[in-house]
Amino acid sequence: MSDGKGRVTLRGIRKDYGSFQALKGIDLDIEAQEFFALLGPSGSGKSTTLRVIAGLETPDAGTMTVDGQDVTHAEPGERNVAMVFQNYALYPHMTVEQNIGFPLRMDGVPRSQIPPLVLEAARRVRIDHLLHRRPGQLSGGQQQRCALARAIVRRPRLFLLDEPLSNLDAQLRLETRVELKRLHRSLDVTTVYVTHDQEEAMTIADRMAVFLDGEIVQVGTPDDVFNRPDNLAVAAFIGSPPMNLLPGRFEDGAVILAGERIALTHRSERAAGDVVAGIRPSHIRVAETGVPARVVLSENLGETMLVNAEIEGRPVKVRLPEVRRIGDGETVRLVFEPNHIHLFDPQSKRRID
Amino acid sequence: MRSAAFRKEGSFAALLVAPSLVVLVLTTTFPLVYLFWSSFQNINLAMPFLDGFAGLDNYRRMIGDGGFWHSIGLTAIYTLATVVLQVAVGLGLALLVLRIPAGQWMFRIVAILPIVLAPVVVGLFFRTLMFAPNFGILDFVVRWLGLGPVNWLGAPTPALVSVIIIHTWQWTPFAFLVLLASLAALPPDVYEAARIDRANALQRFWHITLPLIRPALVIVVIMRAMIALSAFAAIFAATGGGPGTATEILNLYAYRTSFVTLDFGYGSALAVALLVLTMIVSGALFYMRTARTS
Repeated sequence: MSDGKGRVTLRGIRKDYGSFQALKGIDLDIEAQEFFALLGPSGSGKSTTLRVIAGLETPDAGTMTVDGQDVTHAEPGERNVAMVFQNYALYPHMTVEQNIGFPLRMDGVPRSQIPPLVLEAARRVRIDHLLHRRPGQLSGGQQQRCALARAIVRRPRLFLLDEPLSNLDAQLRLETRVELKRLHRSLDVTTVYVTHDQEEAMTIADRMAVFLDGEIVQVGTPDDVFNRPDNLAVAAFIGSPPMNLLPGRFEDGAVILAGERIALTHRSERAAGDVVAGIRPSHIRVAETGVPARVVLSENLGETMLVNAEIEGRPVKVRLPEVRRIGDGETVRLVFEPNHIHLFDPQSKRRID
Repeated sequence: MRSAAFRKEGSFAALLVAPSLVVLVLTTTFPLVYLFWSSFQNINLAMPFLDGFAGLDNYRRMIGDGGFWHSIGLTAIYTLATVVLQVAVGLGLALLVLRIPAGQWMFRIVAILPIVLAPVVVGLFFRTLMFAPNFGILDFVVRWLGLGPVNWLGAPTPALVSVIIIHTWQWTPFAFLVLLASLAALPPDVYEAARIDRANALQRFWHITLPLIRPALVIVVIMRAMIALSAFAAIFAATGGGPGTATEILNLYAYRTSFVTLDFGYGSALAVALLVLTMIVSGALFYMRTARTS
């Protein structure tokens, strides 16, 4: 449907703001028609990367190509991109109809051809009944839809979304998330999506890049990132709550945690040494035997239960599939599921396979 | 009980307001009423024997008075030219200064200086230092360009141009400051959206900037038009309305009629005409402003 393919390549992108290094050399390949999320905490460089892709920021070093064509220094308008801003950036003095039609007018589309295109874009996001309102007369969700319609009306090669759901309430966020995914499928345009919400990235993206401190720490499918974190930084960031990380020792195909030996079925050829063992809260069970832990606080989450415990003074979170009575201060025994234990090198902080 | 206390409080409040109310009535309301009253009288110090009630005579006289229509025409030219120039130059300067990353405060301070000068001072300063033939700064520039010397204040058209320049010089900073503040408050992401939507700089100015600063523009136009219509001191100091009547806008004509010709009755009628004109123009501008926004 779009005129270009929309394959984006970033090589060695650096951006400094004074002494602050916002991007410390970003390499990224985004495939054509992919739904790609840039995930990271605030200040990690994900929004700056999106703005570099949009052409709103010029990188201090590095190159950017789209479909093999160098656009590093191209104006935003020359890149055939569309963007939805976090605060929507609608033109406050124009009606919804004029807002959506603005990119077409600037493109020199004949006036008579604009209304049907505007109507079609508005229909796609279901705001065709609001065409004569101004942004100030719309709710947050409607403004967001208007911004989406303005972005899709021109059939861009790249579709950029900067935290588009962060200003919506929780219920609307869930609905819009699904709609965005559907919209992407029907448009078939490369979509780059910035978010700090990992659940959003996990559910919506084909692939994602995890940003920390101006660097990309992992690129992969949500499944990859969640189930095979590349390094300790990603392991400590992804998941809610994230993985427990405990110091241990690897020996003869087993990991020794707090004096307890846990045989690992799938890793045996490695030499003995110190490791950091990572395990998700949901992969720990409370049992009769196992590593002893003291319960600090147990949180009833309704369907599940989150137990905050300590093993030798180190905090461990355990997610139990059912709610049960566990008193604070009680000592329980924890069993780690061996095939869900991730090992990391404490020096290089990389994953050990 | 309560209403008595309330009445007491009410009369105490009236007592507090009274002094300023009395001053206000004495200084504004009374002169205005007296002006209206005079405009229906024959009060001519040169011909005191004709004094008495004149009815609408003074107003009828206006219709056939070439001097009146001449001054109305000059007032229109003067107001239109100064307002357009102030807004155009002020907006241009504001757009330029907005692009300066640091030190904008210096321009803001410099801009205030002309505004705080008394218009008489500005008029005299231009007459002696800027427009004086042969040694005025402006005339020096014009001669250097090979276009002069020009008898700025001594020939009819240059004199009108000169008083327009004087007014524009003094009051453009006002437009500049208001528009700069308005421009600085515009949302940056809207401009980023426009750049992504492929609007070039001119299109961004036309489709985004102008509509968004429209409220500020309209206020500047209204305020400046009201002041330009009743301008007096700077013109009086620079040309005195001359040469001849070449720069005699309505306000100066009313002044000359009253205090040089000493025809207070007709002068009052001219002043009332100016008041009505100012009210009509500003009223129309205000109406246009609210009509467009609602």
